[in-house]
Formats: sequence, C-alpha cells, structure tokens
Amino acid sequence: MSKKELTDMSQGDIALKHTAVIVDSVSKIFTQWQRKEGVRSIFRQQKRTVAALEDITFLIERGEFVAYAGPNGAGKSTTMKLLSGMLQPTRGSISVLGMSPEKDRIALMKRIGVLFGNRTELWWDHPVIQSFEWKKVVWDIPDQVYKRNLERMKELLEMDEILCTFARELSLGQRMRADLAMMLLHSPELILLDEPTLGLDVVAKRQMIEFLKKINREEGVTILVTSHDMDDLEEMAQRILMISKGKLAYDGDFDGLRLLTGHMTHFTVTTDGRKPELTGCRLLGGRHGVFEFEADLSHTSIRFLLEMLSHTDGIRDVEIRRAPIEQIIAQLYQSWKN
Amino acid sequence: MVDNRVSVKRYFKLLGIYARMDLASLTRDGKFMALVIAADLISNISAVSGIFLLAWKYGGIGGMDRFEVLFMLAYGNIVMGFLNMMGGCNALFPSRIIGRGQWEHMFVMPLPYGVQLTVGIFPFTGSSTFLVGVALLIVALRNLGKSLPWWWPGLLVLLLAVSMVTVVSLSYLLSSLAFYAPVQCEEISSTVIYSVERTMTFPLSGMPAYVRYPLLTVFPAGLMAWLPTMILLGKTNALETFYPTAFALFAAMLATCFFKKGFRYYVQKGINRYVSGGHRS
Repeated sequence: MSKKELTDMSQGDIALKHTAVIVDSVSKIFTQWQRKEGVRSIFRQQKRTVAALEDITFLIERGEFVAYAGPNGAGKSTTMKLLSGMLQPTRGSISVLGMSPEKDRIALMKRIGVLFGNRTELWWDHPVIQSFEWKKVVWDIPDQVYKRNLERMKELLEMDEILCTFARELSLGQRMRADLAMMLLHSPELILLDEPTLGLDVVAKRQMIEFLKKINREEGVTILVTSHDMDDLEEMAQRILMISKGKLAYDGDFDGLRLLTGHMTHFTVTTDGRKPELTGCRLLGGRHGVFEFEADLSHTSIRFLLEMLSHTDGIRDVEIRRAPIEQIIAQLYQSWKN
Repeated sequence: MVDNRVSVKRYFKLLGIYARMDLASLTRDGKFMALVIAADLISNISAVSGIFLLAWKYGGIGGMDRFEVLFMLAYGNIVMGFLNMMGGCNALFPSRIIGRGQWEHMFVMPLPYGVQLTVGIFPFTGSSTFLVGVALLIVALRNLGKSLPWWWPGLLVLLLAVSMVTVVSLSYLLSSLAFYAPVQCEEISSTVIYSVERTMTFPLSGMPAYVRYPLLTVFPAGLMAWLPTMILLGKTNALETFYPTAFALFAAMLATCFFKKGFRYYVQKGINRYVSGGHRS
C-alpha cells in the first residue's frame, strides 16, 4: 500500500483492514413453543423467548486463530450462524471482513469458508472430485487458483486416495478431510469451523489440527473454531473466547483461563509405597506407590511444595505439570451452573 | 456496492454443471440407466392412459373428443414435466428445502437465491414426463385435424408458462408456512404439487359449476391443463382467455409477499438448525 493511500485512510479504515470479525453488542433471541401438561395445552400452546446470545462483543484480528468454547446450549453454533449470515441478530451489529453477513452475503461467501462438523457440503451420490468441480463453477473460482489449491489439498490432506470415491462411501475422517479441502478451494481469508473434530479418531484429529495450524501460520488464514475438546482447542488456538448462557464469560489466552480457577497444578509423586502427607495439596488418587496430587500455587508456593517433598521420606520421583485444560473448563462450567 | 448479478454466460455454466452431474448419475451403470428409462416411460404412459382409455371407449368426455382429451393430458405432462426437470434440487418443493435444513446450504453459496433455485436442473433423469408430454402433444395435434394460426405456438408457450407460474406460486405460497413450522410443514409443497398433478388430468367440460369453479379458483387444478386446452382449441370467450394469466400474476404476487415474510421470520426469530436431518433431528 502506498504512503498516499495510507494517509488517505482514516483510523477506522485502517482498523477495519486489520480486523476480520467485529461483533458489537449482539443479542439473538429465539422463539420456542412450549407445551404444558393438561388437555387445554393441546390447543393453547405457549410461546417462550430464549436469549441464545446476550450483548456479546468481541473482535478478531486478521491472522488470529481463536477458539470459541462453552457448554452445550451456550450459543456457540448460533454465533457461527450469525457470522456466516444464516441468522440475523435481534440487536447489535456484525462485521465480517468489513462486510455485513446479512447485506453482503454473496460477496462475503466468496471470501470466507464455513464448515459445520455435523453437515457435509459434498454431493452424496457423486465422487469427491465432482463436488470440487461443482464448487469451482458455483464459487466462480479461476482455473489457476482451483488447480493450485487442488494440488495443495491433495498433498496436505492426502486426498489422492479418496478423490474418486463417492461421498457416501467415505469414512467420517475421510469425509471431514474432503469437506475441509472443498471449503478451502476458493482460498478463503477467514474460516469458521463448528466442531470440525467431532467424531474423528486420534489420527484423523491430529491430521486436521496440524493442517489448520499450518494454514493459519503459513498463509495467515484467520480461523474461528468451536469444539468441546479443550485440549484440541488449546493446541490449535492462541486465544479463547468462552461463552456461558449467551454471555461472553472469558476472552484471553489459555494461561489466563487457568488463573480463573486458581493457579492449579497437578503433580505425580512416586514413592517406595508409602503415602506422602503434603500440607495444602489435595490427593486425587494413588496406587502401587504412584500418587496424583493437585495444588493451588496461589496458596501453596512452588518453593514450599518442593521443600515439603524434599523432607518427605521414600520419594523416588516427582513430575509436576499444569492442570489439564479440560479440568479447568469443567470447573468453570460447574461454577457457571451454580 | 458489489454487483451480485449473474451473467447469462455464467448462468449457462451453472446449468451445465448440474446437467453434467445429472448425466453422470444416470450413466453410472448401464443396467441402472436402462431400468430408469424403462420405469419412467411405463410410469408416465400409465399415468395418462386411464383417462385417455375412458375417452377412447366413450368417444370423448364432457364435450371434448378423444384427441382433445389427449391434447389436455399432453399439456399437463409438459407443465409438470418441465417443472420437474428444472426443479431438480427441490426447487419445486421449497418446504422440503426448509424442513430438511437445506436452506442453510443455500446461505453459504455465493449466488442469489433465485439463481440457486433455478439452476439445479435434472435434464436427463428428470425429463421423461416432459418428453412423453411432447410426444403425446404431437400425436394429439396430428389427429385433431385443425389448421392452426401462425401465432398459435406462441400462445401455447405463453399458456404453458402461465400454468407453470401458477403451480409454482401455489407451492411457494403454502411453503411459506414451513418457515414458521419446519417439521410439520416439510411436505406441504409435495401435497400441493401431487394433488394438482392428480386432479389436473380430469376434463372439467360438462362438470357442474360447483365442481368446476372451485377447481379454477381455490384449488386451481383446472388451470394446469383443462382451461388452457380450451383456450388453445378456441373454445373459450375473451374473459376466460385472460383469466389464467391474471390468476397466475395474482398468485405469484401473493406467493412472493408471503414467502419473503416467512423468510424474514426464519432468519430473525426462527430456531434455525444446521444438522444432518435438518429440523427433524
């Protein structure tokens, strides 16, 4: 960009150029039918409004890899649908790549990719390559871009073996790979992934995570991903947005999330069989001389912990590690429920 | 402002990809292809043979001779056949698109909804009714022994279009209910289409007014084949000649209005699903 172009741009324009997603005070209210017990309710059902999202505000910079998490029914998929233009907010505004998903749907869809783990965009009764060719025409992808991306996908996602297979005959892992490849054929700048690792086995999941990290790192593709698997999210994303009951409960990095529930640390102590007595530490379990403890480092310092361990008889080995993110999240979800 | 219009060239390219995919699914297997063609042919001929055999046995029905009846059956086949061929991706059954959560696929495609609904053609697997209709029309015209004016083919095309607009409008009008109750109304469009398809083959000539008028107004199956046939055979007055076009315009306006209203409700207030079974799961 030239100097003149830069000086002609307002601060707002510059900010917009570096921003992939702006969600500003967005609320989404659904209408649900309710049927109570009794004969009268057969003919007189009631309507109830449910706030799926309440006054949500966040911003995602271009090139970020952001995890979007929350318990079931928290509003994750609703947010994804709002960002991809499938739903419209009841209040507030949304901007994706500087466009309104509602008003600029067609232009926006040429620049973003959307993948819902529980749906496929592949043509069920056709070979995978046929779905790719269909996408090329519908998205109006130039020949050069299509060929380049197809070659890349074949290489990165090992597509050769499944390219000529009918979509209905693919395994779940193969189908997800094909769906992911198809989503990326038009070189989207932003991709929205709702539960992309749903139901995948360990190998397929690893392959997908590595691939997503690679395109984010090397090509600067902005990624917003939801998943229930927190370990996967921590491995992929640099930042996590957490929602609970439709409200944004946390926006920051994963270490910050750990601090929310205290500075919990897990450590394993291997002894000659004796059970160690450690003040301020909670015993999570132990057998055959291997004991698992949990300690809150904001109350029990690491120095005090090491001192205690050095004065304990019969210790053969100690392994200290961070509390698993799954456990942190479970504690958070539980505290939100209460 | 981004120009989202689709050029004629691109529109034909889109039609082309769907046509290619349809051909690919028909020719996947030689035996399958032969079976599909034979089954379609038998089914389409048997669908019209009942009425035609009655007309043949009794030398016509209600003032229409046997080849006028055949002409009417052919006309109806062309109307429904063309729509089935062009509306391959459930475009003729919008309530299915809504109920099965397929509209969500449409949201993420960078094409106007109108284009998406009209390019999904099935010219090979879905053309049998249309082709049988054209063949029957030729047979009927040869045997009618009428000398037709030069503008007659134009009138035929216009009336075919009017009948198609009417049936599509009815389908979209009632399908707008699916935006409010996707599960309950998923098959409402097929109920409309199949009811029209079954009723339109009955000649209304000679029927009492209490049968004929409802079938030309509240449930206009008579506009799908019978009244257009009477117009094309020169058996109507001026008012009757323009009635199908006026009805089609009115139905199209009503359908557009209600469908847009339902769509707004769906994206603003409805519980939108995007799971494998659509709204049923």
